[in-house]
Amino acid sequence: MKSYFENMAPFGKALKKGTIKRTQNNYEQVIEAEKQISAAVDEVKNAGLSEEKVNQRGQMTVWQRLEYIVDPGTWTPLHTLFNPADNVEGTTNVIDGLGKIAGKWAVVIGFDNKVMAGAWLPGQSENILRATDLAKRLNIPLVWLVNCSGAKLTEQEKFYANRRGSGTPFFRHAELEQEGIPVLAAIYGTNPAGGGYQSISPTVLFAHEKSNMAVGGAGIVSGMAPRGGFTVDMAEDLVQKAKAHQAKPPGSVATHYDHTGFFRFVYKEEKQVLDGVREYMKKLPAYDPEFFRVTRPKAPAFDAEDVMRLLPMASKTVYDFDDILARLVDGSEHMEYRPGYGPEIYTGLCKVDGFLVACIGNRQGYLGKGYPEYADYPGMGAKLYRQGLLKMNEFVTLCGRDRIPVIWFQDTSGIDVGDVAEKAELLGLGQSLIYSIQQSGLPMMLAILRKGTAAAHYVMGGPQANRNNAFTLGTCATEICVMHGETAAVATYARRLVKEKEAGRDLEPVVEKMNALAQKYKDTSTPLYCAKQGMVDEVVRLADLRHYMQSFAGAAYQNPKSICPQHQMILPRIIRDYAAAKEKE
Amino acid sequence: MSEDVLAPLSGKIVSLSVEPGAAVEEDDEILVIEAMKMETPIFAPCSGIVSKIAVKEGDAVEEDDLLAVIE
Repeated sequence: MKSYFENMAPFGKALKKGTIKRTQNNYEQVIEAEKQISAAVDEVKNAGLSEEKVNQRGQMTVWQRLEYIVDPGTWTPLHTLFNPADNVEGTTNVIDGLGKIAGKWAVVIGFDNKVMAGAWLPGQSENILRATDLAKRLNIPLVWLVNCSGAKLTEQEKFYANRRGSGTPFFRHAELEQEGIPVLAAIYGTNPAGGGYQSISPTVLFAHEKSNMAVGGAGIVSGMAPRGGFTVDMAEDLVQKAKAHQAKPPGSVATHYDHTGFFRFVYKEEKQVLDGVREYMKKLPAYDPEFFRVTRPKAPAFDAEDVMRLLPMASKTVYDFDDILARLVDGSEHMEYRPGYGPEIYTGLCKVDGFLVACIGNRQGYLGKGYPEYADYPGMGAKLYRQGLLKMNEFVTLCGRDRIPVIWFQDTSGIDVGDVAEKAELLGLGQSLIYSIQQSGLPMMLAILRKGTAAAHYVMGGPQANRNNAFTLGTCATEICVMHGETAAVATYARRLVKEKEAGRDLEPVVEKMNALAQKYKDTSTPLYCAKQGMVDEVVRLADLRHYMQSFAGAAYQNPKSICPQHQMILPRIIRDYAAAKEKE
Repeated sequence: MSEDVLAPLSGKIVSLSVEPGAAVEEDDEILVIEAMKMETPIFAPCSGIVSKIAVKEGDAVEEDDLLAVIE
């Protein structure tokens, strides 16, 4: 299939002098906005005890453990700013992402032992479930760096119980194992109660010699017989009991390596534990990348930093999506599917690190005379019309058949509305796209370049596609909300304004409410807010978008559950034949 | 030699970025048209001198209306 994939059609334009000049302001705005995001990330990294203090105790921090175990240049952080319960600690207390270990992709997750010795906090189980779901979707191992002191007891009501509470990850570990996905755990420190299950629920346990895991720790053993309250005498008794337990915490290596054998391996040094995991990763199943590569990896023909100039921070300014995509894919080459049809949407095959990926994105700007064909008004990119929806349905379905992972790029204001649009079946075609995505069974990733709005945010591979969407990225320009805040204010208060006017009352109080609602929309659509609430899995630098695409493609092709031989793919042939037919016309 | 800059779409002129007589380089922004809630910047198709600006802020333009001339 060399003739299809080795030299695809080049696309994208080099930046002209004029472009560089007129985009300088935008470039500086991006740098400033990305600085703010980077400062928020630094706060999470610096949460809790200092690295120095943890090292003085003879331990490595979770960040040091990650740096040691993950192959250089492959760490792809996710959920760094996720903190939906607004914990005072500034974190859910687990750090996770994709990374290669011994040359193989894994989802890696670790408790932040700088913060309350890695305690359970509100929002943490949801974070962990995102990581286990990611391992399931990409069919790659999950590697745990366990160091979990158990629940933050003063806030247990927020996370201990419930359907997606702190015990749910243990069931997810079982589910992964039943799917044939191994869960490896490096275990450090004291892991009582919930920490004990965090330790025991993975598949293979690699323990540090000073670690322990237990059903209950020293802290709760002495308080297990409630007597209706506390007295000073009882407190004195507790002191003695607690001291005794501290001297000999339950579930040490002596118990769980020498006696039960739950710990498969025990190591003297912290780094040796990670070395043990790394060695074990070598034993796990993974295709050699060459098995799936359609060509040798190639850098894009243009600089990735150009995207900082090409993506406008101003939400109303149009731009050329193809020029951005050309900065993200191998050799700035592609095979576009049905060019000219459904012009508001780009669909095409591209390569990332030599792997074939399908890309879908919103084009921006005026769509030309006579489009959409069913209406007497002009069409503008970012909105979805009949042809674009049909094209995406076809493309996703064919990708499913050819087993090609999909990368979505959203900058959408929604699906065309009105009775004309209803007659054009847009509601049905939107839901059809949801069906096509679900039916494909493909892993997908999404980058929300700017706007993710209305139902278009769902149908274009949004994170709501739980079975498909591996992760969703935001950028410094991302804005996610059901509609623009001012539109929402009009929808909410228009009738109220009429009533007030007819009653002869002052409109000012309603206007104030409208402005307040518009402002609320603004405040709750920002990239940082979206990351904190989990609407995106990470906010990334524009220049790092390709890195995430590389991680996604590499992980998706590491051990897929079903494959399509290159020579049996039909999509590349359809694209080529369509182009040839068009040329003849 | 002169090159006409035509409106690629109907809309309203929301800002002018250059004045008559200004020297522009290819791809410099000349003006911005707003339509369907989106702002479409219009760029210079070539380097030269702006000999004429045929519209002013607030003007409504139709597709293919003359916006400017570059000498």
